[in-house]
Amino acid sequence: MKKSISYILMAAAMLAASGLFSSCEKVSPQGVLMGNTSVDDRVKQSMIYYAYHGEDLDWDLVDTIEEYSFLVGSDSHITYDPGRLSEMLQLGIEYGDLFFCHLGDLADTKPEYYYNTQIALYNAARTWRGKYIKPFINEYYTADDGMYYDKRITPSTKNYLKPWDLWELPFYPVVGNHDITHNGWSLFCDQFNTSFYEFTVKVGEFYDRFIFLDSANGTLGDFQTDEIDNNALQNDDKVIRNTFTFTHTNIFRPSMNEFASTYCREELYYLLNKLEEWNTTIAFWGHVHAWDDRMFNDVRHITMPSMNFVDHPNGGDDLIVRITVKKDGSCEMERVGLHCKEQSRKDLEAMGYLVKTK
Amino acid sequence: MYITQRLLLSLLLLAFATGTALAQYYSGDHTYDGEHQNEASASVITGKNIITGPSIGNTVHYKHYFNNHWSVDGGLNAQYTKQLYGFKAKGEYHFKVKSFHMFASAELLYNRYFKFKTNEIDGNISIRFERGYWDITLGESLINYTIGRSGYTELPTLTFGAHATLRHRTNPWNVGLLFRNYDDFYYENWNINWGVDYYYRFNPQWKMFGEFNIRPAGSMSQLASKYETTFKVGLIYRWE
Repeated sequence: MKKSISYILMAAAMLAASGLFSSCEKVSPQGVLMGNTSVDDRVKQSMIYYAYHGEDLDWDLVDTIEEYSFLVGSDSHITYDPGRLSEMLQLGIEYGDLFFCHLGDLADTKPEYYYNTQIALYNAARTWRGKYIKPFINEYYTADDGMYYDKRITPSTKNYLKPWDLWELPFYPVVGNHDITHNGWSLFCDQFNTSFYEFTVKVGEFYDRFIFLDSANGTLGDFQTDEIDNNALQNDDKVIRNTFTFTHTNIFRPSMNEFASTYCREELYYLLNKLEEWNTTIAFWGHVHAWDDRMFNDVRHITMPSMNFVDHPNGGDDLIVRITVKKDGSCEMERVGLHCKEQSRKDLEAMGYLVKTK
Repeated sequence: MYITQRLLLSLLLLAFATGTALAQYYSGDHTYDGEHQNEASASVITGKNIITGPSIGNTVHYKHYFNNHWSVDGGLNAQYTKQLYGFKAKGEYHFKVKSFHMFASAELLYNRYFKFKTNEIDGNISIRFERGYWDITLGESLINYTIGRSGYTELPTLTFGAHATLRHRTNPWNVGLLFRNYDDFYYENWNINWGVDYYYRFNPQWKMFGEFNIRPAGSMSQLASKYETTFKVGLIYRWE
């Protein structure tokens, strides 16, 4: 009997271990315990993208901007109705926010949930381009033979400008744990390309730096921490005024009802030191679906509530935040509400919003 | 004189372990084999951590029994390449409920992570249920850390551990499997330390022990990824 219990315990431990270290298909012990991609692989892939497109991400042409704002949301866990994400984007476009950040767990893993997320982003992109890109092109460019000519330059030179409908919505997400299970990463990177990147916003002679870290596995991993240490993202020529960081997995635990941090000890202390070294103004965290706001060594740490329908069926006045960066570099935070109610899948299909599924 | 002998013996153990083998120390949770004897032990640990790189270090430990119920335990940990140094003190009470051996313990652990300018103080209370082939530990830990001018006390976290052995614990050698969210000199939240451990008893006084650990990050919530791998080996000397 005693031996039997021992063998059962050992078998259970071996089964769990095999789940951790073997590769399986969709529903599996591995699916419960780990994502299908490692953080190292995702960051390697991201670095390739960043090497070719990193500069394209920068907002370095906005010399005229003295003050700007951006919206941050988290854990939308979209299934059929992407309404809350649409509402956030709509609010930002109407207000005039420069861009949008999302702290991960964008959709709840299934491919069709990502399609629904894409619909929300496509619709918002159309509205955003209509507000900003089309008037800009109409005012300053003329089109001829599929090329755009800058009217401000004389003699007119062929300045290639991508067609207005290819301008992407300035939506900057990080990847969350729900974004990586069951092949979620392939869906995520197909749309957003990268999980580890940064960009800058130039305001006068200064730059504000926005760093996006991949912690979807509950860890930054070997490769990412090496890349951070090697300053892979940094542009040393720039005079940095504010630094904002965004990642999914939280450090601080708002209450006993939420998950504790999953960062291992050395990694936790490494990360807190790194944020200080970067002179981080605000570090944003998600994952635990609860609000927490605290200072730790001059760094403001904001852990965001979720914006999904399950946690907040009736919405709320404080589900996302707007950060306004003033001319003097100071930042103001405003909590912003989302109030739309979830629509049924049937209603969404009837409205032609969703592709009908069996 | 007696104390001097024990001190010398402890230092010799440390030197021997350092010079001969590589592993990590597994002291606190050794199973009860029928009698309580004071013991001193030393071990060497080596491994690789994704943040701090390859590591090597030593631990020493002393456990003193006042009687068949009460014991105190002290340990030192020096991980040179990690620049992690710590010490701990633990009190334990052993009692029996039917066929279970129960060990209620309270521990205070201090760690200094020089590399990260971090001071960490951990408090833990646990109870261990022990049978011939397995033992389970449940408890709560409270972790406080200070970096620079700021400190944070994490909300109490569950401590859990399970350990099963191939043979009864009274055998002169044994091999076991374990998983737990703590080790001799750290407590974690969700990150589980998976391992294989063994011991070999040369005679009633001398015992060799060792452990191979894999410590993935975030393993309890769909998040496992490589974090740390360690080997440890050491020697225990016991006396009346």
